[in-house]
Amino acid sequence: MMEPAIAVHDLRKVYGEKAAVDGLDLVVPRGCFFGFLGPNGAGKSTTIRMLTGLIPPTSGTIELLGMRLPEQEMEIKRRIGLVPDESLLFDRLTGAEFLEFVGRVYGLERPVARERGQSLLGLFELREDRKLIAEYSKGMRKRLAMAASLIHHPDLFLMDEPFEGVDAVGARLMKDILLDQVRRGATIFLTSHVLEVVERLCDRVAIIDKGRIVREGSMDELRGGTESLEDVFVRVVGAGREFQELDWLK
Amino acid sequence: MIRAILRAQLLSMRSFRLASSRRGAVVSAITSLVWYGFWTFLAVVAEELTASREFRRQIENWLPMGLLGVSAWWQLAPIASASMGASLDLRKLLVYPVPRGSLFAIEVLLRMTNSAEMLLLLAGAAIGLVRNPAFGGWVGLARVALTMPAFVAFNLLLSAGVRSLLERQLSRRRVREVMVLLLVMVSALPRLLMSTGVPAHRFDRLSPVVRNALWPWMAAGRWLTGSQVAGSAAVLAGWVALALAFGRWQFGRSLRYDIEAAQATVAVAKEAAWTARLYRLPSLVLPDPLGALVEKDLRSLSRTPRFRLVFIMGFSFGLLVWLPMALRGSGGSSTIAQNFLAIVSMYALMLLGQVTYWNSLGFDRSAAQLYFAAPVPIAWALAAKNIAAAIFIFLEIAVVAAVSSFLPVGLAPGKIVEAFLVTAVAALYMLGLGNMSSVYYPRAMNPQRVSAGGAAARFQGLLVLLYPVALLPVILAYVARYAFASQLAFDVVLGLAAVLGAAVYGMAMESAVSAAGRRREMIVAELARGEGPVAGE
Repeated sequence: MMEPAIAVHDLRKVYGEKAAVDGLDLVVPRGCFFGFLGPNGAGKSTTIRMLTGLIPPTSGTIELLGMRLPEQEMEIKRRIGLVPDESLLFDRLTGAEFLEFVGRVYGLERPVARERGQSLLGLFELREDRKLIAEYSKGMRKRLAMAASLIHHPDLFLMDEPFEGVDAVGARLMKDILLDQVRRGATIFLTSHVLEVVERLCDRVAIIDKGRIVREGSMDELRGGTESLEDVFVRVVGAGREFQELDWLK
Repeated sequence: MIRAILRAQLLSMRSFRLASSRRGAVVSAITSLVWYGFWTFLAVVAEELTASREFRRQIENWLPMGLLGVSAWWQLAPIASASMGASLDLRKLLVYPVPRGSLFAIEVLLRMTNSAEMLLLLAGAAIGLVRNPAFGGWVGLARVALTMPAFVAFNLLLSAGVRSLLERQLSRRRVREVMVLLLVMVSALPRLLMSTGVPAHRFDRLSPVVRNALWPWMAAGRWLTGSQVAGSAAVLAGWVALALAFGRWQFGRSLRYDIEAAQATVAVAKEAAWTARLYRLPSLVLPDPLGALVEKDLRSLSRTPRFRLVFIMGFSFGLLVWLPMALRGSGGSSTIAQNFLAIVSMYALMLLGQVTYWNSLGFDRSAAQLYFAAPVPIAWALAAKNIAAAIFIFLEIAVVAAVSSFLPVGLAPGKIVEAFLVTAVAALYMLGLGNMSSVYYPRAMNPQRVSAGGAAARFQGLLVLLYPVALLPVILAYVARYAFASQLAFDVVLGLAAVLGAAVYGMAMESAVSAAGRRREMIVAELARGEGPVAGE
């Protein structure tokens, strides 16, 4: 049997006395479109950063594509496509130069990287001739980041809010591409605050709150047939109504 | 309102301090102590001089010129160092209903961030004047207590206006390099003219102009020494009013200024085909991903306004600073004249450090996380940055050598080779230390802000101590040549310095890689950090 795309056991990340991630256990099967949800500050981005090796865990184990992190860090990184929350883009390059650069860093020959870069620029409608990335809009930057994550044809995508700031047309394109990647067998691990998107795309979902998984399952299991994902999410993370106590706001 | 803004800035700085190491704070404290200790010493000298009864005539004669020097330093030093101190980030504050008068008041107060040295000097002179019985002693306290704040206010207000004006002009891509080049040339021109044969007495003709009673430094000087008090006070008050009007006018224009619109027109990479081929040259000899990383840095740096400005200053300001000294006196046989190219090259090496090796990840900002997320050892990323820096350093020396060949400094081919070798050896130490500082003291740099500095603020002071240490092996080679009057002694010591430098570079790289692994989270966080309502250094 093939190892899961992501297998995390008892993962913890502690800052001072606060645990940002507190004993996380998670298994994401290969070929799965996995949604990782949680309120702000729940530990989503910290988890993704640990999965990418950007920050070391305080304790616990991480296996990606059957390989241990950090022991097989380089091999893992070669097979991951990353769209982080903070920009990965070098502002003083053009989109084409950046894609060629990323392709070469991930081991592609220059002509191959250039050719794929040009195709991706066309696909994501980013053919802004000689325009520096510094001049890109937020949506364009996200599209370029996604294009960069695709260039080396990875097996696992780690994406932190990939649709944030992207217009409806761009988001639709990105969703279609991601679904296509899943169809070819790639795994996608995605965080998003847009629950409708998660509901539409993901096979499985985990909800994290205060550093712990509080609900996990297939979409049907979570919704129980009657509720929307938003209802489940709000109920599980216990969203408050404290604003009603603020008389001056009424 | 003002307190709320200052508190927000204080809180931004607090989170910065918490993320930083205690060692950084100690380094910062030590270097601040050394720097301000030096200026305090000068202030004590000023106090002693102005307190001497027997120097009365000299004080009356030269105090206004001293005040002119203070004003010149106050207004020009930030331009020459392209480091204009802290300033309000108006784009963050404009959305709030803050009265413009309050914003301007804060901006003026922030001008003190790069004028503490001058305030120390003026305080020293003020105490000396009050102690001097020739000027009435303590009876003159009220007079000094009125004049000095007025002179300080004039400089602060003028400085606020100049900064607003420069920030706007320097934000225009095509204007800023030319403008800064002109400014540094104008500031160095008088000394250059004197050294290149314009007789000193010609400058004497300027004396009546500079000593006209209507200038603020003359008015302040006369008021301080008690001569023509009423007239001088009126003149200085007029200058303060003018500076206030100028400062408010320029600040108001900056408030309405659309920086994005000014920059949008040429925000494209407009290289010729041959430039693109130049960028690719390193990849002919370096394998990927090293070649790709070097190529990326060459492209990025050459398109970074801050880098271009410093690169231009390396061969313009550097030459203008050192040329007068080389030409002075001994007919081109002085130590500076004989080693002119090597000295200017070393100056350029130090200048480029701010934008290349002391904080090599700074311009990448949050994108630096790619070095940790991509399948590239961090050692390669640092090495690529060092190679890119070395390429620009040697290019700078080539430009310096080319420009120097037109100057009357007697440039022999051997001296050109020597300049390259000496700089290469010194660069080994600098780049090694730079790799460590880049991972221990990372700081996000805005490539658009020509006035934002390089290394982290607490590391800037340490550089004053590091430069002599890093340059010591090269200096020893020159000492050996002088002491033994032998080129062979120079070559041997320089060779040893190169071997030692390679070892230092290797060890520093190892240490930097290890630290980068341990501190990657902090490095990425620091580089992704935004600023508070007060921006700049």
